Amino acid sequence: MSDSTEQTPAGIDPRGPRFGAAITSVLLLITVFLALDPATLGAAFAVLLVVTASFVIGAFFGNSKHPYGFLFKKLVRPRLAAPKELEDPRPPKFAQLVGLLVAGTGVVLYLAGVTGALVFAAGAAFIAAFLNAAFAFCLGCQIYVGLQRIGLIKKF
Amino acid sequence: MSIELRLALVFGLLGLATVAGLVWRARTGKAKAVVGGQVIDLAEIGAIKNGQPVTKFGQKVTFLQFSSEYCTACRQTARLYGELEQVHPEILHIEVDITNRVDLANKFNILQTPTTLVLDSHGRVTSRIGGAVQQQTIEHEIGTFEI
Repeated sequence: MSDSTEQTPAGIDPRGPRFGAAITSVLLLITVFLALDPATLGAAFAVLLVVTASFVIGAFFGNSKHPYGFLFKKLVRPRLAAPKELEDPRPPKFAQLVGLLVAGTGVVLYLAGVTGALVFAAGAAFIAAFLNAAFAFCLGCQIYVGLQRIGLIKKF
Repeated sequence: MSIELRLALVFGLLGLATVAGLVWRARTGKAKAVVGGQVIDLAEIGAIKNGQPVTKFGQKVTFLQFSSEYCTACRQTARLYGELEQVHPEILHIEVDITNRVDLANKFNILQTPTTLVLDSHGRVTSRIGGAVQQQTIEHEIGTFEI
């Protein structure tokens, strides 16, 4: 059995990652809009680069070190009641990593000349970020076990 | 591409994501009856509760919850079952982390966590709940069993 429950890191306010996902989904929807016209495809790439950078921070440093997490703590959380319960910071980190893989694929393909891939990467990442923000959809809950079963994730 | 078409596509994407979210929310956490369900082997699943291996099923009903590491909804669901256990002494909640048990995920065909198997007093699976559970669903399940 995993002894991970014994090393559970300190909890975070679950609304923090959802606030970040809301910002991310707005940026990704803008990316899609810009990517639909060749004249603004370069601008779309720039916005997607910003989103990808934010996923890098989220995936490797977590929500507490994230600029959106900082915004949430400074601007949003003081206006809200205390959360009912704190959440494990690892599931949102996993979701950020998945976001990074999807958005990063769009960035890499764009740089490789497959510029048409950008709108699909941004669209797919948008759906996940939007579901997280609007419906508290948890990507780790839905896909982690499935990825493990098809052998894409191995735990050592 | 015209600005009207671009806006239509962007709002179409937003609408698609909203519909997907509504469908997901309507389907998640609903109990589905299992006909001819298998009997759970507590030793095989490595059920542990309060540091002790679980050897007996709940007097009336057992909720066997499969969880994984990167799962927010699992914590919330476990807390809910824990609260109901305090009120209903005839039920038992067991949580099994399948992060390192792909064999169990395959055996019970688990695609998402939490997935709860509802077991009768003999440990036979009678229904299955995918996703975060609502209190009324659990109470309805408890109500379908007689001691």
